[in-house]
Amino acid sequence: MGGAFGDILARAQGGDEAAFACIFRDVQPALLRYLRVIALEAEDVAGETWLQVVAGMTGFRGDEQAFRAWLFTIARHRAIDAGRSRARRPTVPLDLSEAAEQLVSADSADLALEAVSARAVVNLIAELPPDQAEVIMLRVVADLDSGDVARIVGKTPGAVRVAAHRGLRRLAEIAQRAGVTQ
Amino acid sequence: MSGPDAMHDEMPGFSPGRPGGERDEPLLDMIFDRRPIPPGAPPKMHDLASMLAVAAGPAESGDLAGEAAALAAFARLVSPASVSPAVSRPARRWLSRRPARTRLPLAAALVTAAAGLGSITAAYAGVLPSPIQQVAHVTVGAPAPPRDHSHRPLAITRSQPGGTHDRSTSARPPSHSNIPSPTPDSSSVRPPHPGRSGRSPRPVSATCTPRPVPTHTLGAPGPTLSPPKPGAPGWTPGSRGAASCPAIATQHAVPHPSR
Repeated sequence: MGGAFGDILARAQGGDEAAFACIFRDVQPALLRYLRVIALEAEDVAGETWLQVVAGMTGFRGDEQAFRAWLFTIARHRAIDAGRSRARRPTVPLDLSEAAEQLVSADSADLALEAVSARAVVNLIAELPPDQAEVIMLRVVADLDSGDVARIVGKTPGAVRVAAHRGLRRLAEIAQRAGVTQ
Repeated sequence: MSGPDAMHDEMPGFSPGRPGGERDEPLLDMIFDRRPIPPGAPPKMHDLASMLAVAAGPAESGDLAGEAAALAAFARLVSPASVSPAVSRPARRWLSRRPARTRLPLAAALVTAAAGLGSITAAYAGVLPSPIQQVAHVTVGAPAPPRDHSHRPLAITRSQPGGTHDRSTSARPPSHSNIPSPTPDSSSVRPPHPGRSGRSPRPVSATCTPRPVPTHTLGAPGPTLSPPKPGAPGWTPGSRGAASCPAIATQHAVPHPSR
């Protein structure tokens, strides 16, 4: 949103639904993709996240970067809560990596990177170790800098950088193995 | 060994860590920072950058699925148009969220309190059956029940000098409102048949609203309306008598002076 964010946020804080819809449409794709990597019920967690964002929006002060960092911090906490809640309920586990492999295989049949959807790439990232996958999603998809990511995941910026680099190298290997890249 | 140290690609088969791990870090940082990668960079890096650009791309189908719910939550919590209903909502929500096991005793307590209040009011009005009235007299200081030959006057309890009081209307006991005669004729206000006394339909205002115990009758002479004495024909223990009803009827029939 760039420089217009301050004005849009102020209008949303004043109750302007169109302004809030603008913020939602800008952030929601990245939020959902991030949650699909770290949570099983991504849509539900996204809904919980927006509820909390709406409830605290009028009291928020900061720029767009701070807003995104705040929102993704909420999302991470809600995802952790959902994971704990799910752990208390005995359920039959679903092998997501296998499902992701099937989805990627279907997309990679064309072997054209241009045809790969964001969802397929997210599924590839979800095959990484969880800490590397989360850092990549926050750095690339949520568009947060290393300092914000470090604060969100509770690591040092150096550790975040190392995890991000390792994750990208491994992702390149996974993509090559899946036939998405050469 | 003389000369400069060998580079990694000059030593095939030797990998101190990940092959080329140190050299690709600036490129990886460029990918993270979304800066353009140099054309001479390995194709793998270009592919990686393209793939991550797709992941950070615009919304695809299903990415905005929760928009309606989020907008509804926003309208409920933030939008000023919904502030006033939302303010009045919490108490109702709080009440509706109370579990049934707390709602039932609450309702029972309310009913009991209403019944007790009504009974006490009726006792002070002196319209209870004699035994109950006696108990009320002893316990809560309500007026004593009438003696054997004492009877509650059925006439209006207070005179309204100079008002717009309609005596003929006020003297008509609502307990006989089902009797067509509108005039306070003694024949028309005869006590009802014993078999019907307790069950005759009456206006709600005449049956539910207790009135104070009559203290004096109208100053002007008029028809004397006597309730059935206990034991006399027409008297039933459950009948309240008509002492409170005429005043109620008057209240409804006589317009307020200020109107």
